[in-house]
Amino acid sequence: MKIIACYNIKGGIGKTATAVNLAYLAAQEGARTLVWDLDPQGAASFYFRIKPKVKKGGKGLLEGKKTLDDVIKGTDFPHLDLVPADFSYRHLDLQLDDFKKSDARLHKLLKPLKAEYDTVFLDSPPSISLISENILKASNTIIVPTIPTTLSLRTLDQILSFCEKTGIAQSKILAFFSMVDMRKKLHKQIIENPPQNVRILKTCIPYASDVELMGVHRQPVSVFAKNSKASLAYQKLWQEIRNL
Amino acid sequence: MNVLQDSSFTFKQETDDDSVFELLCRKYLQHKVIDAQLERQYLDSFDWRLYRNNLVCGFDRLNSSTHKQHNTQKGIFFVVDKKTGASICEFPVNRIPRFSDDITQQTCRKLLNELLGIRALITVASSAVKRRQLNILNQENKTILILRTESYTLTEQTDKHHYFSRLTVSPVKGYRKTFKQVRQYLIDQLKLPIAGKAMFDEILAASNKIPGPGVFTACQTLNDTHNTGEAVRILLHQFLEVMQANEPGLRDAIDTEFLHDYRVAVRRTRTLLGQIKHIFPAKQLDYFKREFLWLGQITGPTRDLDIYLLKFDDYRQELPKGMQNHLAPFQEFLERHWQIEHTLLRRKLDSKRYQKLIDKLHHILEDKDSSAQYTRLKRIAPQDTVNATKPARIVAGKILWKLYKQVLKEGKAITPQSPDEDLHELRKSCKKFRYLIEFFQDYYPSKSIKMLLKLLKALQDNLGDFQDLCIQTTQLNHFAEQMQQEGLANTQTLMAMGVLVEKLNVRKMSTRAEFEHRFNAFTQPDSKEPFSDLFKPQHQPKGITI
Repeated sequence: MKIIACYNIKGGIGKTATAVNLAYLAAQEGARTLVWDLDPQGAASFYFRIKPKVKKGGKGLLEGKKTLDDVIKGTDFPHLDLVPADFSYRHLDLQLDDFKKSDARLHKLLKPLKAEYDTVFLDSPPSISLISENILKASNTIIVPTIPTTLSLRTLDQILSFCEKTGIAQSKILAFFSMVDMRKKLHKQIIENPPQNVRILKTCIPYASDVELMGVHRQPVSVFAKNSKASLAYQKLWQEIRNL
Repeated sequence: MNVLQDSSFTFKQETDDDSVFELLCRKYLQHKVIDAQLERQYLDSFDWRLYRNNLVCGFDRLNSSTHKQHNTQKGIFFVVDKKTGASICEFPVNRIPRFSDDITQQTCRKLLNELLGIRALITVASSAVKRRQLNILNQENKTILILRTESYTLTEQTDKHHYFSRLTVSPVKGYRKTFKQVRQYLIDQLKLPIAGKAMFDEILAASNKIPGPGVFTACQTLNDTHNTGEAVRILLHQFLEVMQANEPGLRDAIDTEFLHDYRVAVRRTRTLLGQIKHIFPAKQLDYFKREFLWLGQITGPTRDLDIYLLKFDDYRQELPKGMQNHLAPFQEFLERHWQIEHTLLRRKLDSKRYQKLIDKLHHILEDKDSSAQYTRLKRIAPQDTVNATKPARIVAGKILWKLYKQVLKEGKAITPQSPDEDLHELRKSCKKFRYLIEFFQDYYPSKSIKMLLKLLKALQDNLGDFQDLCIQTTQLNHFAEQMQQEGLANTQTLMAMGVLVEKLNVRKMSTRAEFEHRFNAFTQPDSKEPFSDLFKPQHQPKGITI
């Protein structure tokens, strides 16, 4: 079971869109795929038309009152399931703190699903906290959507140093440029001269209205606009990640 | 984990499927209907490995007349649980995968690899499927249950028109309540009968397809009433069946196992004819022995090349990384020669000589009036057929004991200085011995036979590996020369092949060194005892010539 986290400290940079679209593409290829919507805002759950509600909440999961398998919901797509968000996830940091080995708790929860899923996407909340540390430690690959701006690159550096401090291998990190607008000089410059201290994927996801329309259609972009620029970019991105 | 499984229902009448579907549409107003017409091919190996593991594998192509994908081979490859119908994997493919290695999806490849090995997927049945899918939605327009009526029409030619219909209710994970409600409604209100038989079984039954083992198994067991002549005919009949079952597959080169199994049946026939003597008149026996030797010879070159091609990846792995690609011309050479040899083989199988052999074999096996035949045979040459009327159990026991002693004698004579040929001779004797044990295993307790075969196998594995390595090292050198003559070899390839021969030589030496240990284990008192217990005659049977 491969665990892929979509992570960034910043919000609104396309983490959820990435998790949802890549998960859809993985499932389409036949991989048994699970998305865990860990963001209490519940955007991934919204995209899949699933109520952001988990019985007994995050605490119930952490305490073992409910297993992850108990709360999984099937999406509208074959072999693609979701662990919905829950508003209580906003307290996960505090709740995790009560456990021994609090940075590996998430991994422990996912372990029993090993035989059931080939790929798990963790849609993480925008933060740098104990829950982030859990997500990053549980993952084999950490995808970091990054807008090609100065502040976003600064955040990328912060993520790298956070990983260093917490003992997370930087080799797991794969950054890619998201919400790219090549008409903008700065975007163009940064893409042409990307940072050298982290692996940057070749594929860029364009700033496209089709990605925003996911909220209207409540579907992955490849479902309602299969041949759109955004859909093709996500397909290319998935191929790049999968083949690494 | 409490997992809900698909439920399948049949319809009481052939026309019910549409009306039931309409009824469901009216009951569950929030829904989405998806119609599709598919051409479905069911896939399995020749020996039904997936079926025997309770799996149904297939390929669905959207009917070109109803879909834009005209003239395309694209479709959905799927594997489902035969009993429950639950989907195990499902993904689009550009063409039907032939081998499990052609599957890109990892989990599916691993699953099928374990079951299929090197066997190819072939179409075992096909049908046209008219599918009407009703997705029951919740207030968010999210699918919470899938109901599917599928009607199947066989597309293969059968005696009569077959039409089946099923309603399948597939739960969506996390929406248990809806599943239970709808299932109850179908049972209580619509009184639909739950399907007892898997759809695939119905389709196979209608297409007159019986999933068989496809491998050597005795369809008729030997018993004490059988004389040796009858037992030999039963066995020869089984081998002939195996040969004929595998012949189309080896002609079409579906996978390498067809030729392998065919050759095993030929070898078994040769062993039987060679070891159980005085059953057939000498002239007849000579003819069959000569012709089966010929069959072994004409099928040999293609099989040898099959083996090199199957081992090719291992050969590559033997080499340092930088050298691995240098072997590519060798692969090309093997493939080219395989094509030539396979064409020659097909021609020989089309020959009058081959047809005559098969006809003659059929003729002697179908002559059921054995007593009259033996009288006739006795008139011709009584000494030739002296064992035919003797009890099979007695004759087999005597021959097995003789073969066992021969194996021991040959093995004991082998020293570290003995030529490789001595090990090859021992290997042949072991093989004959094992075949004979298998032929006549019905006369012995199965537990004892399993133990004997296990002991023998440990020795045979060593001898087999050694012989393979001897042949490979010699043959690779020969191939290298041939490639030079054909202008296919460059220096890099020849060097890579040289390194490979060196590596195989090292393995050959260590395999040879292992022989002594294996043979000693085979001749330990603990190992010898079960052979003596089973085969050593209590008294010398009279009138049997071996």
